[in-house]
Amino acid sequence: MTDKIEFLNGNTACAEGAIAAGCRFFAGYPITPSTEVAERMAARLPKVGGTFIQMEDELASMAAIIGGAWAGARTMTATSGPGFSLMMENIGYAAMTETPCVVVNVQRGGPSTGQPTMAAQGDMMQARFGSHGDYSIIALSPSSVQEMFDLTVKAFNLADRFRTPVFLMADETIGHMREKVVLRDNVEITPRRELSTGDLPCQPDVEGVPGFGTFGNGHGVHITGLTHDERGYPATDSAALHESLVRRQVGKIENFRNEIADVDIVNPDAEIVFISYGAPTRAVQQLLADYPGVYGHLNLRIVWPFPDAKLSEFHAVKAFVVPEMNLGQIAREVRMHTNVPVVTAPKLGGALHTVDELKHAADVAETATGTFTEVLL
Amino acid sequence: MTLEDWYRQDRLPHIYCAGCGNGTILNCTLRAVNELGLDRDKTTFVSGIGCSSRAAGYTSSDSLHTTHGRALPFATGVKLVKPENNVIVFTGDGDLSAIGGNHFIHACRRNIDLTVVCMNNSIYGMTGGQGSPCTPYGAITTTTPYGMHEMPFDLCAVAEAAGANYVARWTSFHVKELTAAIRAGIETPGLSFIEVMAQCPTSFGSKNKMKQVSQMIDMFRTNAVLKGKADRDAAAGIPLAPGKFVVGELVRRSNPVLGGRP
Amino acid sequence: MKLVINERRCKGCNLCTQVCPYRIFQEGRRPGPRGYVIPVLDHPERCTNCRLQIMYGRQLCGMCQMTCPDQAISWVEEKPYEAHKVVIEY
Repeated sequence: MTDKIEFLNGNTACAEGAIAAGCRFFAGYPITPSTEVAERMAARLPKVGGTFIQMEDELASMAAIIGGAWAGARTMTATSGPGFSLMMENIGYAAMTETPCVVVNVQRGGPSTGQPTMAAQGDMMQARFGSHGDYSIIALSPSSVQEMFDLTVKAFNLADRFRTPVFLMADETIGHMREKVVLRDNVEITPRRELSTGDLPCQPDVEGVPGFGTFGNGHGVHITGLTHDERGYPATDSAALHESLVRRQVGKIENFRNEIADVDIVNPDAEIVFISYGAPTRAVQQLLADYPGVYGHLNLRIVWPFPDAKLSEFHAVKAFVVPEMNLGQIAREVRMHTNVPVVTAPKLGGALHTVDELKHAADVAETATGTFTEVLL
Repeated sequence: MTLEDWYRQDRLPHIYCAGCGNGTILNCTLRAVNELGLDRDKTTFVSGIGCSSRAAGYTSSDSLHTTHGRALPFATGVKLVKPENNVIVFTGDGDLSAIGGNHFIHACRRNIDLTVVCMNNSIYGMTGGQGSPCTPYGAITTTTPYGMHEMPFDLCAVAEAAGANYVARWTSFHVKELTAAIRAGIETPGLSFIEVMAQCPTSFGSKNKMKQVSQMIDMFRTNAVLKGKADRDAAAGIPLAPGKFVVGELVRRSNPVLGGRP
Repeated sequence: MKLVINERRCKGCNLCTQVCPYRIFQEGRRPGPRGYVIPVLDHPERCTNCRLQIMYGRQLCGMCQMTCPDQAISWVEEKPYEAHKVVIEY
């Protein structure tokens, strides 16, 4: 079997990536700008022996993919900002029950109905902290159509390895643009570890991840969103048990944040370093091409858990510039992990950063002294 | 496999109050699956949140205790990925008709092959006795201290109108008929909805002049009208007396089914 | 067969007393080990299942067991009658 080369839009490439990764159940609800993912899955899944269902709302979509994951399938849903907010309760449920699933959020202008057809990156903090309580998740950020394919495959593998919901935080531009994409035929699939007979359903291995007790395989597991002990039974009275459960669920991801980090490091000797993810990465790459050797670039493909150790790869840095299509959500996170000034360069409204605007932000960063400076573009 | 094997013995005794109807309904459901000889690995119980939904944790097969009102879409996901499994949903009146109302009508419309056992105790029991959409008009609850001023749902009528294939209503007093109805529901393809009027002596009974468990059971026994009699009365032009409700198999049809066993 | 009420599970709701078609139960007087007043068997000879389960080979009636919300009722084989030597002193 050979790789296929096609000219697709980002959403379609994401759906193809899911199929290639073995996703066989999709439950979704139409919302601009993510509808193409659902439409492609509706057309392709029956042909590969999978099931597609359009649910009545996003809460039901998230619920259905969790149920489907427990029945043994790799499952996915796709939505945008308003739907993402609706899914939050069940995302918390997936985090607490350690259910592997993939949620694609093709971000659009917010808050509320906002700008349905314009790009934004305003859901980054929500992806990490949107549901109540303490938990951790993994969020990836593609910046090209090829990455929509590759990172979707990676999302499924990470979800199964860490038993967590994984978010693919795209945006309307990447979702709707068309580029050449190589639909690789032989992608690497690392399936979830099945629960061994004799192990308890919530008993962690050395990495903090329990074996997965797929329904119908004779385990007789009880899965609940209540705080539970290692047998999976509700045990809400013990403070020590709750703390150890929550810490394990957070630790199993956060402890590996630098090991699983997926970044591009360009010009590590530079003094002004751009940190970007998603669509603004394309603008930064253009800036570095126009001014070679001047600036450094840290491109984050995995944004959460935040790979703080990668910041120290830039040993000569004088200031970080973080261009984002939100009011500095990841810039705040960068500030937490460094002592040098952080310059946030937000651009709202849907248009991407231009090279001139990034140059202007870099010039401001040259003379920045405060810990957190905003550049008005 | 015996009836005892269907219970998760290390979790018993359960958390239900003395005289709770939910315990009876759990007995009837497990007796029904035992009589049908179902394979425990091919049976999944899904439940929402509430006293009714704790029942899933007392069965020994795979069970999914989900978020409030969302048991039906979780069950839809399980069923569509493993259509050969029997998926039985435990839910309550508030879980199903208040927060879960949208999922209820869509599951019935889709006619997905699930069996839904709704333990209708006309109140929100777990949280201390608040009114639910199935609380009778005029009843006292903690959030309706002057009497409920809204009309309740007729859940079976909603299920029938939305397209479910099998709709039945019984009470926790009619244990034999309830077991048979759950059996029929599991065997009938499509969405089978069995509403069970259950007693909540702690919250509902104590506030509505029925402090004794036996009073609520007597109320079910006197107010339940068998379908045959209700039909005869309706044909003769006699309306259903206020406070009474019809029990029996109300609907059995064969509309197209989603996710039926292959 | 003999009807046994599991005193660690029974919560004294007396639904069994109410639903038994043969009225074999009666409300108890003394509390059990958990403090609930367990119903007592007033007329165990009337229990259909006790008398006939072995002969028919399946469970009969069973209303009390199905109704009991605490799964406290079960039937056990009665130990066969053993002859005792009785000494009467007079």
